[in-house]
Amino acid sequence: MAQDIQKTTNGIWKLLEACTPNAEKAGNALLYLNAIGMLFAAASNTTATAIDKNTRPEDKKFLIPAGVATGVANIGIYFLMTRKIIKYLEKSALSYVDKMKDNELVAKATDFAKRAVKKAEKGIFKKPELAVSMKKDFFNGADINGTITEAAKNAYKNNVKAAASVAGAFAGAVIGCSILTPIIRDVSAYFVQKRMEKNNPELKNKPHKPYYDPTRVGTGIYNRKQPLSMTSFMTFTNKNLNGNMKI
Amino acid sequence: MKVNSVNKQQNFKGSFGEKTVGFITKHPALLATLAGSSVIAQKVVMSSSEATIGPAMDIAIGKTISKITNEKDGRTKQSSKVQAVRTFSQAVGGTIVGVIIRGICIAGATALCMKAGGKIGEELGKKFPDKFASIVNNGLTKKSSDYEKISNASAWGKNIGGAVALMVMLVTNFLIDAPFINLINKNATKVVKNIGVKFKKPQEDKNSKEVK
Repeated sequence: MAQDIQKTTNGIWKLLEACTPNAEKAGNALLYLNAIGMLFAAASNTTATAIDKNTRPEDKKFLIPAGVATGVANIGIYFLMTRKIIKYLEKSALSYVDKMKDNELVAKATDFAKRAVKKAEKGIFKKPELAVSMKKDFFNGADINGTITEAAKNAYKNNVKAAASVAGAFAGAVIGCSILTPIIRDVSAYFVQKRMEKNNPELKNKPHKPYYDPTRVGTGIYNRKQPLSMTSFMTFTNKNLNGNMKI
Repeated sequence: MKVNSVNKQQNFKGSFGEKTVGFITKHPALLATLAGSSVIAQKVVMSSSEATIGPAMDIAIGKTISKITNEKDGRTKQSSKVQAVRTFSQAVGGTIVGVIIRGICIAGATALCMKAGGKIGEELGKKFPDKFASIVNNGLTKKSSDYEKISNASAWGKNIGGAVALMVMLVTNFLIDAPFINLINKNATKVVKNIGVKFKKPQEDKNSKEVK
């Protein structure tokens, strides 16, 4: 028991370290937060199915494991894939920065430092103290037209690494959310329907209802005790208030 | 081993990843935006792609399933259209509410980190010297300049605020998101219905289309 607690706390520390604001790990924090959000959403959707009074217990026996399996597959694939992408881009950024010639680095870092100072001086979110401090840190003699310091070069390098890892997190999120999730959700919903039809053969003979009948948008359609069809399953999971958990 | 792998990478010029990084560094505004982005930016990027690609994916999957399984009544195809409208509504509604809540939480957490971050970090560092000292102290207390302090506070604020927002959204999803998304879906369904009627007629009657 004590060992388990030790393991869990160690895991939490590792998670916290991964989320620590650190230039090279900027994308990791986004990945973890998004994965936790997806986990919450999937858990609440499954819980909603479990506590819903309109769903028959026989249906629940299948719907709950199906919901859990879908959630695990979705989040697992998203997490592993995005972590790979982030690691790859971080590596690429590291080798890109290493390869950079000195004069190129100076030119780009100067541009970066000037932009950062200007951004802090002007605009809605201006921070005058930050601008003064950045000038001191980034430019020799705090002169914006002078030469830059080592600190500015390092800050630029860290910025490139951070941008690369964030780009990886974004790419993973886009692929995961708009390609992987629909495939996993729709295919699993199809199998749910097949299973329902197998248990309730009368479903196959039911005439099909038009899918975009506005009258079906009302709340009345949930006062049902009949078996689920795919349309009603999808409408149920989505129409039911809790089906909207989208964190 | 490590040295070897680094050497290999350097010999291999212009990998896809390096080209991507190179593209980012060529656009300073993009670089600054990416490096400074928080969960809000991630949510916007994710949802806008979900709102545009997601529905098309739903319909394509519906078509593929009906083709593979030789479905005659086209039930899956129809359901996928319901899901497509739904995906769009969820992406739009979830983003509007999610961005507002995340923004508030991040702003609050950043302000807290700026004002009290140093003290909290010191206290935690005293209590858990081996764990927290390396994580929190470096970030908020051992500040050599205002620049470091502010950038660390905003970085911590982004992550802590993002985590707090997740907790807040567990509640607001039921209270705000769900009814809001239903409202969007209702209207989106009506719009789709009208478009569907307009587009269906010429497709059904091929002769009339040719005459036109």
